[in-house]
Amino acid sequence: MALKPLVFQVLLALADGERHGWALVREIQQRGDFTTLMPGNFYRTLRSMLAEGLIEEVHTRSRTEAEDERRRYFRLTPAGSRAATVEARRLEALVLESRAKNLLTKRG
Amino acid sequence: MRATRFAYRLLLIAFPAAVRDEFGDDMATLFAMQIDERRRQRGSVVGLWIRAVVDVLQHGMAERFGAGESPRPRRTGGWMQAFLHDARYALRMMNRQRGLTLVCVLTLALGIGANTAIFSAVNAFLLRPLPYDDPSRIMTIWEKRPAEGVLDNVVAPADFLDWARQNATFESMAAQITLPADLTGVEEPRRLFVAAVSPAFFNVLRVHPILGRDFRPDESFAGKPRVAILSYRLWSSQFGRDGSVVGRTLTLNGTPVEVVGVLPASFEFADERVDLWSPLVLEGTPQPQSRSSHQLVVFGRLKAGVTVQQARTDMDRVGAALQQQYPETNRNHGAWVIPYEEWLKSPVRSSLLLLLGAVAFVLLIACVNVANILLAKSAGRRREIAVRSAVVAGRARLAGQMLTESVMLAGLGGLVGLLVGWWGIQALKQLAPAEVQIVGWSHLRLEPRVLAFTAVVALATGVLFGLLPAWQLASQDVGASLKEGGRSPGGVRRRVRVALVISEIALASLLLVAAGLTLRSFQSVLNDPAGFRIDRSLTVSISLNGSKYRTREAVVATFESLERRLASIPGVRSVGETSHLPLGGRDGRQGVTVEGRESTPDAPTRAHPRVVSPSYFRTMRIQLLSGRPFSEQDAPPALPVAIVNETMARRYWPGASPIGKRVRFNGAGDPWMEVVGVIADVKHWGLDARVNPEIYLPLKMGFGSTMTYVIDTDLDGAALAGSVREQIRATDLNLPVGALRTMDDVASVSVGSRRAGMLLVTVFGVLALVLAAAGIHGVMSHLVALRTPEIGVRMTLGASPAQMMSAILREGAIQAIAGLAVGLGGGVLLMRAFRSVLYGVEPTDPLTLTVVSLVLLATALAASAIPGRRAMRVDPVNALRG
Repeated sequence: MALKPLVFQVLLALADGERHGWALVREIQQRGDFTTLMPGNFYRTLRSMLAEGLIEEVHTRSRTEAEDERRRYFRLTPAGSRAATVEARRLEALVLESRAKNLLTKRG
Repeated sequence: MRATRFAYRLLLIAFPAAVRDEFGDDMATLFAMQIDERRRQRGSVVGLWIRAVVDVLQHGMAERFGAGESPRPRRTGGWMQAFLHDARYALRMMNRQRGLTLVCVLTLALGIGANTAIFSAVNAFLLRPLPYDDPSRIMTIWEKRPAEGVLDNVVAPADFLDWARQNATFESMAAQITLPADLTGVEEPRRLFVAAVSPAFFNVLRVHPILGRDFRPDESFAGKPRVAILSYRLWSSQFGRDGSVVGRTLTLNGTPVEVVGVLPASFEFADERVDLWSPLVLEGTPQPQSRSSHQLVVFGRLKAGVTVQQARTDMDRVGAALQQQYPETNRNHGAWVIPYEEWLKSPVRSSLLLLLGAVAFVLLIACVNVANILLAKSAGRRREIAVRSAVVAGRARLAGQMLTESVMLAGLGGLVGLLVGWWGIQALKQLAPAEVQIVGWSHLRLEPRVLAFTAVVALATGVLFGLLPAWQLASQDVGASLKEGGRSPGGVRRRVRVALVISEIALASLLLVAAGLTLRSFQSVLNDPAGFRIDRSLTVSISLNGSKYRTREAVVATFESLERRLASIPGVRSVGETSHLPLGGRDGRQGVTVEGRESTPDAPTRAHPRVVSPSYFRTMRIQLLSGRPFSEQDAPPALPVAIVNETMARRYWPGASPIGKRVRFNGAGDPWMEVVGVIADVKHWGLDARVNPEIYLPLKMGFGSTMTYVIDTDLDGAALAGSVREQIRATDLNLPVGALRTMDDVASVSVGSRRAGMLLVTVFGVLALVLAAAGIHGVMSHLVALRTPEIGVRMTLGASPAQMMSAILREGAIQAIAGLAVGLGGGVLLMRAFRSVLYGVEPTDPLTLTVVSLVLLATALAASAIPGRRAMRVDPVNALRG
């Protein structure tokens, strides 16, 4: 079953490794689907993903002095990375089918 | 940055505390960074804030009430999502048209605020149950005199005792009377008000002292030590909430009284003056209690399961038995049971309901105005709406969108309206007429029920004024609008708006008729001759109590010496004294025997006695119609004399002069008095009350130990107060000085509730007029704008600007006349239903109707003339091209 777009975006951003909240938001905004991602929406999604076990908070990461103590880092769980793969495959299948039906032949 | 974080953290209250603890800091940091970024990009910070509010509300509420968020999307969009989408869209639109939004919100706030204020009074005085345990079982019991049309006369003590013993339907019954008493033996002697009550009184109301004890049943017997229970107010003001006050002895009217208890702060009684409570001595007195001196208010608590009707039947039985037993005093007298709540609330009910009606009309006018504004606005948005409905939304969704917008507008209006309402409540408290006895003053405030009322009114308002534009927009022909490019003469729309203006004028004229009639009533109350001077002359009341004043001679000598002292103050022209100051709220009535005239039970001869000094009529400018005034020689051992008022002369000596005739009170041993003069009628009970027979006795032949001095002077009351107090102290150090009031004050208190009602209705009438004028102006401007091309054509064809102006004025006048016809008729019908608040004026008063018509017609013409001038300046060429 499909994932919410924002959930997939978070999973995608975490695929490169651990991120803290603000960095996640910046990356997702840069991708362009969300021009301004509002905090209420974002953190509520994050909370639900933590609860579902798709991501987890990082406690062990050693931090340099310069880094803000309060920042919290997140990373994918195995379940999260499986969900991301499943969703990516689903999207890929959709894209392939779209191409087969000539929806993507003309570019731009 | 810090302020942003702080404000955002406040917003986060929408989220559950657990979420706030976990992510609150992160969220605030993220938002602060977003604001920062927005500033760097020179974008709208306000817009971001609005999005943040919506975001936090949406997700906070979802966290609180929704099932846990799932990473999977829900299958349906759902109405909630649609609503939130609409709400966000509405916020954007309101933000874009700030001026328009402000006008709408303020208009609605005035209407909603006025409703909030008046409803808070309705809530405090009418809706709230009385603050006693099981209040519906508390009754008041009155003497019923059906032959005289009186149902709630105060009760004679002997009758009360028999009622209490012989009834079978009341759990307990108690009598009460409020009397002034002087508190001495304290630093500053004070005049207090004592409620004398029979011992069961607090049992009937089910009130328990917070300190000490209730009265004991035997404390109503003569010869027992005197005791008192303090009101919370007196306990605070005089004794600083000293817990050891119980057991202390006070001196009241020269008699020692032991404090046995203190009442709770929450206890409210209709007579707000009461400072302390003491047992009414009715039993074991040397003489039996009177059956003809009526003075007590009687309360009773019904036994469980007894209905008011059963109690009435029971008391009818008791009353009939007493009639048989005591025919000379009780003939045609019965007992009448009224629920206390009903008796207390019915006098204010009609005024409050009239006011509630008035503010409802003001709100309706505000709604019509806002609907008009939205219609005008939507006219400009036809194209946008047409596009949206062609591309995206179904019509129902579109109407929903419009409704969401108007409800949100009304919600904002409601919030600001609460402020207006709060302010209105403060103003109501200032206006509060002091003489109205009602329980509930402490609840005149923004209570939960008032807040709920405001919320419902705001919501209903939003739906009401939003439905029309929503319906219009949703039903328009999408294709036509797109083709026209958004311009349309809109025949239907025009008719709708003209109808709105007419209804607005109708509502405003209806309110103005109500305002005009109450204003005229007030005027005729004030203009009716009162029979005495109402000006800056000062009044002060003095009671002589205690051992020094046991004999009549001592009392009279002190009163006379004080009168001489007051008259000697420089600047004082004359001083007079009376036992019963007109409009002072004190009165009594006694049966009299008029020589040569039989007193029958159906037409008893009775008079209200007053004791006055010889200079009283002169000082009060009360006109002597025939005979002579009192003189210093009217004193024992000369033969007793009396002066009667015109009403008494006409009623008991019809067609003859009463001078030289004899009359006497019905008490044993009361002597015959010769009538030596007739004075003009004096309005004793109120400027709008009828006059009863009055009989005046000279001070030296009179009775009673309380007199009110009237001091005729040009001096300012405040300047004189010091000298007056000095002279009173010089007469007797222990005399407490009551409040010094001018006759103006006394009179204005007596018309206080009428004045308050008149002021409020007038304010609402003017508010309605202003709102209606704004509405007419708005609509006429819009109609002129729509007709600009037509005006252009007509002017090219040779119409003069003056002709255009007169065409527009004619249109305005026709609308005004149509509205007036409905409104004046409605106003007359309305005031016919509220006739009880009118005085000396008919609901069809021609002057009021004429003035209201002229005012509204002038307003409508002026409001049309402004857009009319614009029409006169239309350049035909531009108009046709546009």
